Amino acid sequence: MKILLVEDNEMNRDMLSRRLVRNGYDIVMAVDGQQAVTMAASERPDLILMDMSLPVIDGWEATRQVKANPSTGNIPIIALTAHAMSEDESKARAAGCDDFDTKPVDIVRLVGKIKALVN
Amino acid sequence: MADSEKQILSAEMEHALLRATLDNMLQGVAMYDAGHKLVTWNKRFVDYLEMPEEFLGTDRTFSDYIRYLGDRGEFGDADVEEALKKRLAMLDTSHSFERVRPDGTVLEVRRDPVPGGGFIAIYTDITERKKAELALRKAMEDAESASKVKSAFLANMSHELRTPLNAIIGYSELLAEDAADRGDDTGLADLHKIGAAGKHLLGLINEILDLSKIEAGKMELYVERVALTDVINDVKTIVDPMVTKNGNRLIIECPADIGSLRTDLTKLKQCLINLLSNAAKFTKEGAVTLRLSRANEGDGEADKFVRFEVIDSGIGMTQEQVGRLFQAFTQADSSTTRNFGGTGLGLTITRHFCAMMGGSIEVASTPGKGSVFTIKLPDRGKGDDVARKTPAAAQAGAASSITVLIVDDDNAVHDVLSATLGREGYLLLHARDGAEALEIMRRTPPDVVTLDVQMPKIDGWSVLGIMKSEPALEHIPVIMLTIVDDRNLGFSLGASEFMTKPVDRARLTALLRKVAPAKKNATILIVDDDADVRAVVRATVESAGLKSAEAANGRLALGWLLDNEPPALILLDLMMPEVDGFEFLEKIKAIDSLAEVPIVVLTAKNLSEKERNFLTERTLLVLNKGGQPIGSLGAALSALARRPHGAAAAND
Repeated sequence: MKILLVEDNEMNRDMLSRRLVRNGYDIVMAVDGQQAVTMAASERPDLILMDMSLPVIDGWEATRQVKANPSTGNIPIIALTAHAMSEDESKARAAGCDDFDTKPVDIVRLVGKIKALVN
Repeated sequence: MADSEKQILSAEMEHALLRATLDNMLQGVAMYDAGHKLVTWNKRFVDYLEMPEEFLGTDRTFSDYIRYLGDRGEFGDADVEEALKKRLAMLDTSHSFERVRPDGTVLEVRRDPVPGGGFIAIYTDITERKKAELALRKAMEDAESASKVKSAFLANMSHELRTPLNAIIGYSELLAEDAADRGDDTGLADLHKIGAAGKHLLGLINEILDLSKIEAGKMELYVERVALTDVINDVKTIVDPMVTKNGNRLIIECPADIGSLRTDLTKLKQCLINLLSNAAKFTKEGAVTLRLSRANEGDGEADKFVRFEVIDSGIGMTQEQVGRLFQAFTQADSSTTRNFGGTGLGLTITRHFCAMMGGSIEVASTPGKGSVFTIKLPDRGKGDDVARKTPAAAQAGAASSITVLIVDDDNAVHDVLSATLGREGYLLLHARDGAEALEIMRRTPPDVVTLDVQMPKIDGWSVLGIMKSEPALEHIPVIMLTIVDDRNLGFSLGASEFMTKPVDRARLTALLRKVAPAKKNATILIVDDDADVRAVVRATVESAGLKSAEAANGRLALGWLLDNEPPALILLDLMMPEVDGFEFLEKIKAIDSLAEVPIVVLTAKNLSEKERNFLTERTLLVLNKGGQPIGSLGAALSALARRPHGAAAAND
């Protein structure tokens, strides 16, 4: 199963990708929102993990664009933000995210959410 | 004594009395007769204006007086004859103004016509009052900016601290997984300690951020329908490990039919986790209970609430310790921090959250026996829970889908509106200035915007102007909020109908289509003293297939309206000679046949205070920030949001 990990922070990208690989997922990575939109179409991942504060275009906008494109609109997206603020969660859901989790990730919980979205 | 003598005496007495009154007044007084000749003045007048005897000694007129002041440089660079002309023009009506004298004193000057001709001028020294006002304003601004700086600092700081902390926690977990694979138990235990310390620090930083957000008024409420059993299950999963760590049992007492509650899910969870983790921390080999129940404190819908009790069999607290409990950065005892850790912010945040959700938190405790923390949250607007269609329930149901963006630089307004509208189930977005407001609107278009008129940087009128020029935002109904006492809800100029000059032709065309979509040959009356503006507007009107009529000022416009059928629309400039836009609006209010004619105000962007106030009184809704009640606001918001499009857009 292929996951597109969108994260601009190099350390977070490294950590999370390694832990997801350890859990048996194939990982492709994007470092900004624009690249995320492009790669969602070219890579056709099974799921997208999207950081919200991203350069070029932010995670909310990237989510909207991915969801608006008929060829990528059905890819589930989990938003990742730094702090468990309800406004972040609501904003992410409003943008079209299917689920929401906070960083630093609890890998067990995150894998649970991934499995719930991709059977 | 003969009657005539009595009369003479009383006239003398009256004169003496008048003289004594004048000379003992705190205000300067000067009286002028019908020919504007200075006839009487008092000592204060001489003192305040530093009028020399030789000037006052001879017959002087008001014009002499103004010219004298002008020659002395009292009007600065202003042309004296102009100043005089302006003052003479105002003499037949009561008026007052403030004047700063060259020595810095501030005089309030009031002139009133007196019966039989002439007028009286009254001078009040308001220097001290002005100084006090200025000092107060400065103190308030300083306090506000200090508080803003502090909050911004904390927010940035928290972010900066969290980034490296993420790496510490993440890599320690990564290494722990490796260590577990290798069977390196010593390494694993140490790595878990690093991870646990990191998570603890992260928790503290998040609490500091929460508190700074609360203090800055930036904490937002997201009300939704929450299934309570789901909340309890989530909370249980999170707190279970904490409770069992100290050898405690976690007991959940929750009726199966507890149902749901309209509240902020994340905040409710955070409150319960706070209380339960506290209970677990201060209890050893005992029990921690979470008990839910529904209760009524009266018969009304508003008296229903859900009670969450967190009961522990821990160390308990004395009365004195309980008293300090909810203060930021204090725990029951300073030794508590050493023994149990924590910032002492958790309960402060919990109490703030409970208040934001319209509820309360209470504590009862006995030293050595344990504590009971009780959160009560109101259960309002049960619309979809029970098949009961009370008006209140129906309204709350409707409100739940309505998003309101509150734009105001005043935190107090956010608080008041959050409390009122949040309780009624509106989804609230908050912006502190115009730029932020526009950014939010473009990202998440709200159903209704409440817009403060006076804000720093981009003010309310400008935000409105920008909104009306963007197709995505143009239809969003706007409620202008401002500080005015005089409310006039009946006649609305309508914030949806307001344009700034230079006229944006595309916008004007769009507006014309809305106003006169079906009517061929509808007439648009253009009222503006600037012929160039009229020409531009006329061209736009005619290219939209409409007829135009023009008037160069309000008086001519009124004349045209009396002679012709009511137009489809009036485009009105505000600053015009003879009868200006304001007076025009006042006058046509009285004409019934024009009640239905929409008016679009055309104005230069920079409105004076007076203009703003005038317009604000005539906008859709006026909220007096200083006073309550604003209960009607909710209903107004619902009505607006349900309307398909903005005020004039009946036919898009």
